[in-house]
Amino acid sequence: MAKHDIDHGLEAERGDTPLLPTERMWGFWEFTYANSALAIATWAFLIGGATALFVGSREGIAAIVIGNILGVLLATFSTCVPCGKYGTEQFTFLRSMFGSNGSRLVYVLAVVFLTMGWLAVLGLMFGRSIDGLSGLVSAHQTDPNGWLVLASGTFAIVLTAIVVAKGPTSIKVFNTIVAPALVVIMGVMLYLILSQHSFAELMALPALDAPFDDKRVNFMIAVEVNMAAGFSWWPYIGNLARLSKNQRTAFWPNVIGIFAAAALGEVVGLLAAAALGNSDPTVWMTHIGGIVFGVIALGFVAFANVTSMINILYTSIVGLRQLAGKKLRDMSWTLLVALFCVVPALIVCFAPGIYDGFFIFLVWTSALNSALAGIGIADYFFLRRQRMNLRHLYAAEAQSPYRYWKGFNPIALTALVIGFGAYVLVFNPQTLANTTLFTFVTASLPSCLLAGITHYGLTRVLAQRLGWGAYPSRHAGTTRTLDLDSRSYSND
Amino acid sequence: MNSQAEHARAQDLERRIRVYEEMEKGEQWPGALSSADYIAITLMTLALVVGFYLWGY
Repeated sequence: MAKHDIDHGLEAERGDTPLLPTERMWGFWEFTYANSALAIATWAFLIGGATALFVGSREGIAAIVIGNILGVLLATFSTCVPCGKYGTEQFTFLRSMFGSNGSRLVYVLAVVFLTMGWLAVLGLMFGRSIDGLSGLVSAHQTDPNGWLVLASGTFAIVLTAIVVAKGPTSIKVFNTIVAPALVVIMGVMLYLILSQHSFAELMALPALDAPFDDKRVNFMIAVEVNMAAGFSWWPYIGNLARLSKNQRTAFWPNVIGIFAAAALGEVVGLLAAAALGNSDPTVWMTHIGGIVFGVIALGFVAFANVTSMINILYTSIVGLRQLAGKKLRDMSWTLLVALFCVVPALIVCFAPGIYDGFFIFLVWTSALNSALAGIGIADYFFLRRQRMNLRHLYAAEAQSPYRYWKGFNPIALTALVIGFGAYVLVFNPQTLANTTLFTFVTASLPSCLLAGITHYGLTRVLAQRLGWGAYPSRHAGTTRTLDLDSRSYSND
Repeated sequence: MNSQAEHARAQDLERRIRVYEEMEKGEQWPGALSSADYIAITLMTLALVVGFYLWGY
């Protein structure tokens, strides 16, 4: 094959051009497995454990279900629904609302910093699980920041890079094996907890460390933590959804995977923390499951972190290719994957303390993700009425109606800042300081709503006058089109 | 060679966009979420949020 003969299907799978329906590899169950593999990791148990600090078991289960379903649905509507319809890469699609440079900015904010942080945290979770396992089968004294944790964490990042370097087919195989096994193991964990305590006993367990006297405030903080978990999928699921065969298979598996499977893991973590004193299964599994089952289950839990890492790394690298267009597109996929993993590996080795800030880090991400979801829903559903013009999306910047102002859409960026600001005003994740509004509607919902309304309102008032965005007029049925052909395209 | 590769990419992109433009012209988008899906999502969400709020809080 000559050097310039390109496999365009493979390029689309690993790049930013729209995937055709015939090229998409994931059916309903494959995407469900991918979703479940993404959702189930040590973080699910830790979020459940964090919920147990604020509320009792019964309220905690309610908070997990309410927070996750709302966060997951809002994140899904703004990413999976459009990307599943047109097969577009998530951050390329984002040009329609943020502009090409604005989309790059959002990628840096929502993916580069966060994903590198998450890869390091998940790597450390893997490392701690291996450390715990080693402590069970030998006389090894566990140490949360010891050499075994750091070496195992680095190994997890290297393993992730190897699987992702081979592309989505290997990810599909990995997910199909691991995800069903994880669901079964979590079911067994739940059974083991229920075999130690009656359901009524478990439901009567109080909060471990409620920060406020007001029961309502504690409940809403628990809902907010879980809504943050639901919104935290925003940067990743659009690029997974584009691999699924159509819009319906891009949507419904989220309800099983990142909602139900994640909620099951969190409930296990909640009940374990409330009844057994620790949400981390590496600590309590062998006490009630026995050494053999404990070791097998913990091995799977350790590798569950790797499946999550694989899925977030793949989606991040696909998005990375639209960041600097031709320059990164010409770089080999394997090299991009390897370069992206350098910083997380360094964090694992030199700043393992990031693990301890996991919970606050998660809630802060919701201030950004909830506003991004609100803007996405307002733009795609209400302003563009679910119709995208792909020619506009891939047009050279000078010709594209998505150039806005120097490649940035000031309207969407203003909405993002307002949404973020509203979140922090209503609820401060650092100090837990909150307003009366928070006790009724959380912080993520007003942030999402305000960002969406701001984007919708300012776009209606200003964008048409300024000739930005090729939005259809309020009464028009379709979007305006430009006379663009293949010579006009660029994703530089 | 680079410009050849770029040209091939542009042509491929054009082909992909045309596929979606053809789909857009059709009455029904294959596999699109229908009003039944949206009703089911709304009812499921309401049932989960209201049901668990009443049960748990």
